[in-house]
This record gives sequence, structure tokens and C-alpha cells, in this order.
Amino acid sequence: MSFLTPLFLLGALAVALPVIFHLIRQTSKEQTEFSSLMFLLPVPPRVTRRSRLEHLLLLLLRSLVVCLLAFAFARPFLPKAASTDLPTGPGKRVVVLVDTSASMRREGLWADARAKAEAVVRAAAPEDTVAVFAFDREVRRLVTFEQWTAAAAGQRAELAVDALKKTSPGWNGTQLGQALVAAASALEDTRTDNAQQPARGPRQVVLISDLQEGSRLDALQAYEWPKGTELIIEPLKAKKPTNAGLQLIADTDENEKKPGEAIARVRVSNSSDAKREQFQVGWSDGKEFVGKPQDIYVPPGQSRVVALNAPPLGAIAERVLLRGDEEAFDNSLALIPPEAARVSVLYLGGEAATDTAEPLYFLERAFPATRRQIVQVVPRTPSAQFLPTDADAPLVIVTDALPDERTATVRRLLTDGKTVLVSLKNRNVARTLAGLLGKDSVSADEAKVPSYAMLAEIDFQHPLFAPFADPRFSDFTKIHFWKYRRLDATQFPGARVVAKFDTGDPALLQVPVGKGTLYVLATGWQPADSQLALSSKFLPLLFSLLEQAGGLRPQVTQHTVGDTVPLAATNAAVRVTKPDGTSLTLGAGTAAVIQTDQPGIYTALSGALTQRFAVNLDPLESKTAPLPVEELEHLGLPVTRADGKTAVQAAEAKRQLANTELEGRQKLWRWLIAGALVFVTLETLLAGWLAKRPAPQPSGETLSPAGRLS
Amino acid sequence: MISPADQVGHASGSLIDPQALMAIRSLEMRARVVVEGFWTGIHRSPYHGFSVEFTEYRQYTPGDDPRYLDWKLFARSDRYFIKKFEDETNLRCHVLADNSRSMNFGSRGYSKAAYANTLAATLAFFLHQQGDAIGVLTFDDQIREYLPARHRPGHLRHLMLALEKPPGGAATDLAAPLKRIVEIVRKRSLMVLLTDLLAPIATLESNLATLTASGHEVVVFQVLDPAELSFDFAKAALFRDLESGRELYIDPDAVRADYRRQFDAHCAAVEATCAKLGIVLRRLTTDQPLELALFDFLRERMNRGKLVKRHAA
Repeated sequence: MSFLTPLFLLGALAVALPVIFHLIRQTSKEQTEFSSLMFLLPVPPRVTRRSRLEHLLLLLLRSLVVCLLAFAFARPFLPKAASTDLPTGPGKRVVVLVDTSASMRREGLWADARAKAEAVVRAAAPEDTVAVFAFDREVRRLVTFEQWTAAAAGQRAELAVDALKKTSPGWNGTQLGQALVAAASALEDTRTDNAQQPARGPRQVVLISDLQEGSRLDALQAYEWPKGTELIIEPLKAKKPTNAGLQLIADTDENEKKPGEAIARVRVSNSSDAKREQFQVGWSDGKEFVGKPQDIYVPPGQSRVVALNAPPLGAIAERVLLRGDEEAFDNSLALIPPEAARVSVLYLGGEAATDTAEPLYFLERAFPATRRQIVQVVPRTPSAQFLPTDADAPLVIVTDALPDERTATVRRLLTDGKTVLVSLKNRNVARTLAGLLGKDSVSADEAKVPSYAMLAEIDFQHPLFAPFADPRFSDFTKIHFWKYRRLDATQFPGARVVAKFDTGDPALLQVPVGKGTLYVLATGWQPADSQLALSSKFLPLLFSLLEQAGGLRPQVTQHTVGDTVPLAATNAAVRVTKPDGTSLTLGAGTAAVIQTDQPGIYTALSGALTQRFAVNLDPLESKTAPLPVEELEHLGLPVTRADGKTAVQAAEAKRQLANTELEGRQKLWRWLIAGALVFVTLETLLAGWLAKRPAPQPSGETLSPAGRLS
Repeated sequence: MISPADQVGHASGSLIDPQALMAIRSLEMRARVVVEGFWTGIHRSPYHGFSVEFTEYRQYTPGDDPRYLDWKLFARSDRYFIKKFEDETNLRCHVLADNSRSMNFGSRGYSKAAYANTLAATLAFFLHQQGDAIGVLTFDDQIREYLPARHRPGHLRHLMLALEKPPGGAATDLAAPLKRIVEIVRKRSLMVLLTDLLAPIATLESNLATLTASGHEVVVFQVLDPAELSFDFAKAALFRDLESGRELYIDPDAVRADYRRQFDAHCAAVEATCAKLGIVLRRLTTDQPLELALFDFLRERMNRGKLVKRHAA
């Protein structure tokens, strides 16, 4: 017999009450007033038969009622044998997930996290199996289940503690969802591995994290949490709640600014549980403000965007600094204006650049210089010699017939992987086209166009035309073609007709040649052939083509820690200096990418080429307000909040819960209450009978008024 | 022996139960009820002409003051009669009502003080009706209310108001009030003292002597509760003295006999003292009808008159 609320048993002490009442009543405090006591002498209270307990049966009944009530309130239950032999069953499998994201750099958090992790590890029973994972952007396995089981029983905790000692929080963002999925999967894996053992112990994921708001949980959206795996959260509490962070805002109106004008906009966001609201933002050389900082006011949970004017002339200011914050880890933002990428387009044609009737005139004007890229059209006459740098151009445009040896050069470029656009300005180009395809001849007769031809049957699935797929932009009927050359698509093996004229003849063909791609336009864009160059579709088409040719890299506005940053391709070895001063050398010819692991400015030196780029913290790391645990619960995770309880306390709480459930099923208290009611009835009947019975003495006193409980 | 009071009771057969009387709120009404009932009773009784000072006609004898000859009667009957005027023997009476805390005791639903005040009011009402000057003095350890003896319209109302005031809260000390009243009331008068006389016998004697020594005629009504006589409490309890506040744990069964003996001794001592001082003492318990008290009072007066007459004769 056990009790859920044993303290109520103290209520059984109330058994003494009827007796005490009885005795109190015997030494009565009842007063009688009398006119004068001058004829009276004090008489000591007689200890007679009357101070003895009368009606023992009545007293017994009342005591029984009190005892039963106290017993019922103590919620007794009969513990099941099954619940006691649980500890001797198979051991638990626990994955300890330790957060090492940048937000854990806050004061005291990491020490707490380590202490909690060590407590969990040390509390593990010999039959338990524990794995320790650290996570931020990725999950690192510090101690696997195999390592744990391989170690001697006494050494296991030390193994995990040592692994934790070697770890420290990095600068990465928090992929909490991913980490939880990894941990749950690890538990699942071990389960299926040992499928021959039918009895498995409980499985737990112990999450030790600051659970900041900026943790990413998206990975959990599509994940079904395995049944029976428990998630225990050991939340860490920061000593200082205020944390403001900086985030660089990408400029959308890039082209409207003059090149070289260094105006940046940063967003200062304050955590929702912050205590401070006044901050300063300004340019910095890494330590102090350069120039005058701006004072800003950011209420908790809100953010403000600050436009920073150019730093003072001549000052080295590549960082934006935030002051007034309690936590320093996210108060600096590296900022380097990206350098414009130079892309060249090789144009092979015989005309002069100033001839408004020829294609080159329009082509040169199609690529305006922007801050991000400068596209240069390199015109070469068909007979001119190629320069070595011409081979770097990702796109070659041919509009005139080339000599045979030049055709061979271009074909080599094509087969090596370049993209070549051949515009059939006239029938003569067909020979060059045949040369590029490695054929003897290609028929390209002048087509008979009644008044004008239009583009019809455009393949909007093709990457070239994909930007026009929206019905708002897909109208090409305004572009009239006066002349074009008829091509037979069957002449081109493997060709894909990207667009056709309304006559049914192909207008644009894509032909794979070697590693490269050959685009054949059956007409020209000069005014004599068509209105294409004058249409609004011309520029997007050209940029699309350049993008397909690999000339335009996707624009990455900011790098966050953990991103892989590609470097300009060179043949020389690359020496990369990291923000903290360490450097590493990448061998020549390797894929020149660098895995970033800290915020700041990276410098890559290869030969004469210097590249610098800024890497910043994940802005979500600045959102340090605690994540509501309910969000995890909404995602279907069975969350147990540890709330600062140790593992032993948690186990105790669990046992208590099991007891509550057991008691709820047995409901012994009902029987006790029923018994108490029966005794109360008996007592009432008995007392009534005793009261009615003629008392042997008129002064004979009973217990009933004082001793009555109900 | 059948007392005259009993005769009255038997004759009338309608004495008012004090319990019912005390249920009447107004003191004046109570007094009126008693007095009127008394008159009714008196008319039925064989004793005629009971009065404090009654008037009479008597045959003129030479030597009488011819001023008092009733000429109208002479005109009717042709005989000389002397008319005795009421104011000739006008009575000056003071009712002294004890309102100390011991008088607050009552086992019948009303206190001794209420009973005593009703008696005082009854006497006052009765005497006022007869045209006597009546005054009232209530006291505990000192004088609370004092109205000099007068007979004028409205005086009765003042008397009633003075008697209706709730009893004060101090111990009985006859010494101070009696000394004071002797100082105040210079003229000889009738002093009716309503008290329980529950005080040490030694002080009682000296106090009462003060009154008689100054020539006043003194009638004492000792008002007692029946419980004080019998001490018929059932339960052992803590008994609290109303005057001193002293508390004693007392088992009534154990002390009853002793109490009665001491109480009787006290009463006997009081009687002896009164007899010695020439004071008329009447003992009343609060369960006795008030008419009897009034009757006793009048009988006392009548006897006294006879006594005087006998002395004179």
C-alpha cells in the first residue's frame, strides 16, 4: 500500500480532537453570573466519573470516520509489481544533443550546457547507452553509441566529458530541427540494428540548448517523430537577456546608385526579452567607431533599419559596430562592397561597331555596366587572330562567315564547353554553321516571307525563354521578322527547337556539340532582318543566354558563417587568410572553394589576384529570446521539460506520474469515503438514540455537541 | 396564619404575575397596571379606607379650630363637622432604588433591578395619585439620578424617566448615597429603600443608622431573586460575581447547603439590625406579585398610624 499524498495522513491526528473536545468540555469554561459570591467558597473541580470518557462506541465511530477521511485524502493505491522491476529491464538509449551555435557564446551558457550534459552522462546507468552529439548548422557526433559501448563501463562518462571539453560553441546558425531529426534517426538506427533483441529500453533525446527564437525547425515539418522516443529539454538561461543583432540588408535598387558609393543599410533587431533599448551604430575599424556613431532606439522585440552614410574619407572602415548591447557576439558586421565581375563576350563579325544597320551596334549597347558585373563585348573580325584571353569568354557570337581555320578554332571552343550563338544574318553563314557542326553543308535558303513572320510555338520550358513563361511577358507577336533563313531541323542531330516561326520553320535551335551548346538563330536582330533588337525581349534574352553560358554567377549578396564561398578560378595555389589571422593554402587546380567557419573578412591571395569577402553571422542567431517549447510540441514532439531538474528528479517526477495514473485507476479513496459516510450515519443514529435515552443523571454530559464532526 | 396580603390575593384572585408584568415595556404602564389592579382588589377586600393619609369628618368638639368647620355639611345636616384636609397630613416620600450591578442578576428573565424599579414606579404612581410629594433617587456606589419630592403635573413623568434609565455599573455602596441624601433632604420624610442588601452586615448597620438618625422614617424592601434564596443551579460552572468580577469555580451541589446557611444567617442579621434601628424591613422575591408589596407597604403605614394613635391615646 502506497500513498500519493502521504502528508494528508497527518489529518488522522484529528482523531485526538473528539477526546480533546470532551476534556475541554469537562473543564467547562461556561460562566454563570451571580449577584454576589460573598456566601460562596471556591470548590476545586471534582475529578469524578464525569471526566472519564463516556460513550466509548460513539468516540470510536468518530475516530474511525476521521481516520478513514485522512486515509482517503492520502490517496492510497496498491503499487503494481511491474512498476518496481522497471530499472532491471534493458537500459535507456539516450542521445545528448548539445547546442554549439553562435548564440551559445553568450556569457555562462556554454559552462551551463557542459555541466548539464555531464550530469546527464554521469547519471547514466551501466546498462544505458549514451551518444553525445553537438549541433549548430550541422550535427557532429562527439561520442557515438558504438564508442560508448566499446569503452569500459567506468570510462564511458569520462569519454563523453573529454569530448565535451574539446568542443566549444562556434559561429554557426542553429539548425535545431535537423539536429533533432539526426538524433531521433540515430536512436532509430540502433534500434533496427539490434532488431533481434525484442525488449528495448526507453529512448530519449536530451536537448541541451539555449532554445533561441532563431533556431530553425523546418526540418521537423516533414518528419514524423518516432513513437516512444522522448524529448527531454534542458533549457539554458542566459544571464543577460538583452541582445541586439545587426543584419545587412541587400539593396534592391543596386543600379541606381553610383558605383563606389558606400551606403549600407543595416537592420538592428532587439531580442523580445531585452532590458535595454538604446544603442549606437556606426562604422568601425574593427575596434572603435570611425566617425560619429548614430544613436538609435529599438524597443524589445522590434527592429529598426539604419542607413549608414559613407564612412569618413580615407578611413578604413569595413565593419559596422553596434554598441549598447549586453552580448557582444553578434555586434559586428563585416561589410565589403562586392567587386564587379568582368565577363567578356566574343563577337565574330566583320562590321564596324558604329554601323547602326549591323548586329554589333545593338549588341554592344545591350550590356550596361552595373556594380555587380561588367559585360564586355570583344569584337573580332573573322580573319583576326585570337588572343589568349579570348578563350575565357563564356559566350561566342558568330554573325559572319568565318574562314575555315577560324571555324575550327571556334568549334574547338564549342566542344570544350563554350556556348556559341550563330546568327544566320545571311546564307553565307550556313557554311560556318556546317563547319561548327562538323558537317559538309547545311541548307539555309532564304525564306519567302509574305509581309512579316512572327515567333510562334515558343518552348517556355527552355531556360532561355523560362523568364518569359508568365503570360504577362509571353507575347512575342509584336516582334516582326522581315527575313529569315529556312532551316531544316532534321539536319541537326539532337537539336531542340526552342522557337518556331508562324510559318512552321524553326527560329531558334539548340544543338549540343561536344561539351558545349550551339544556338542557331535563323535570322539576325539588325533592323534589316527583324525588330528583335529593338524589342523589349532582346536584353532579357541575351542575359538569359549569357547566364546559360555560365557567364553570370548567381548573385550572392551576403555570406553567412558555414557557407561555402567559391573563389575566382585560377591555376595558381590560393592562400586564404581568415579573420582571426590564421591562413591556409589551397593547392593549385583544386576546386577553389572555402568553407567559412567564422565571421569577418577573408582574404584569398592567388598570384596577383586578391579577393576579399565578408562573412557574417546568421542573423537568426541574434534572436536570442527563448523559443516557446509549445512550438516543438506543435510539431508533434513529446516534450518533457526538465526545468532545471536533475535526471534523478525527472525520474522521480515520472514515477510520481505513474503512481498518479495507477491511483486514478484503482480509486481506493472512493471506498474509504463511502466507509466514512456509513460510519457517520451509524454515529448519527447512535448519538440520536443516546440523546433520547433517559440519562441516568440529569447532569450527565455527553460528547455530542462538541465531538460532532459533521 | 393568613397574612393580609394573602387575604387580598384570595379575595381578588387576580394578582398579576410579575413575569407577565415585566413583559410590558413601559415602566409607567407597569406601575399603572399594578396600582389599578390594586384599587380593584382593595374595593373587594374587607379592609376599607386604606390610605396613606385619609381624610375624615369628625364631630366638632369645642376647642377645634373653627376654620376647618364644614359649613356646607352644617347647612345640610345642621351639625358641626370638622373637615380634615388632605394636605394637612401630606406625605413626603423618597424612593431610593439601588441600581448597582448585583441588582442586574435575574433568573426569571428579568433582573432584580427591573423588579425594584417597577416597584418604585408603582409606589410613586400610587403616592402621586394620592397627592403626596414623591421623589426618586437611584444609586449604585454614588447617586445616579435624583429628583426631589414634589407633587406637580409632569413630575411623575420625570420620575418614570429617571427610573427607566438602564442600571449603571458599579458595586453597591450604601454609605456614600445615604450620606448624600441625608444632606440633601432636610425635611423629615419617608424613605423607601429598594435594595438587595447584599453587603457586609457591619457596613449596613452604620449606613441605615445614618438615615434613621436624621429623623427619616425608613422602609426597606429587600428585593431578592428566588435563585439567591435557593441556589438551585444544576451544573458546576465558573461563577462570576457581578459586582467585583471575581470568578469562582463552584459545584452548586456541593456548596448549596453551606450557601443557604450563610445566606439565612445574613438575612437574620439584617432583620435584627433593622429591628434595632426601627426600620420596617420587607423581603420580596422577584416572583412575588407587586400588589403584595404595595399592600404590605400600606398595611405598614396603617399599623404605624394605629401605633401612633395608640401612643397618642
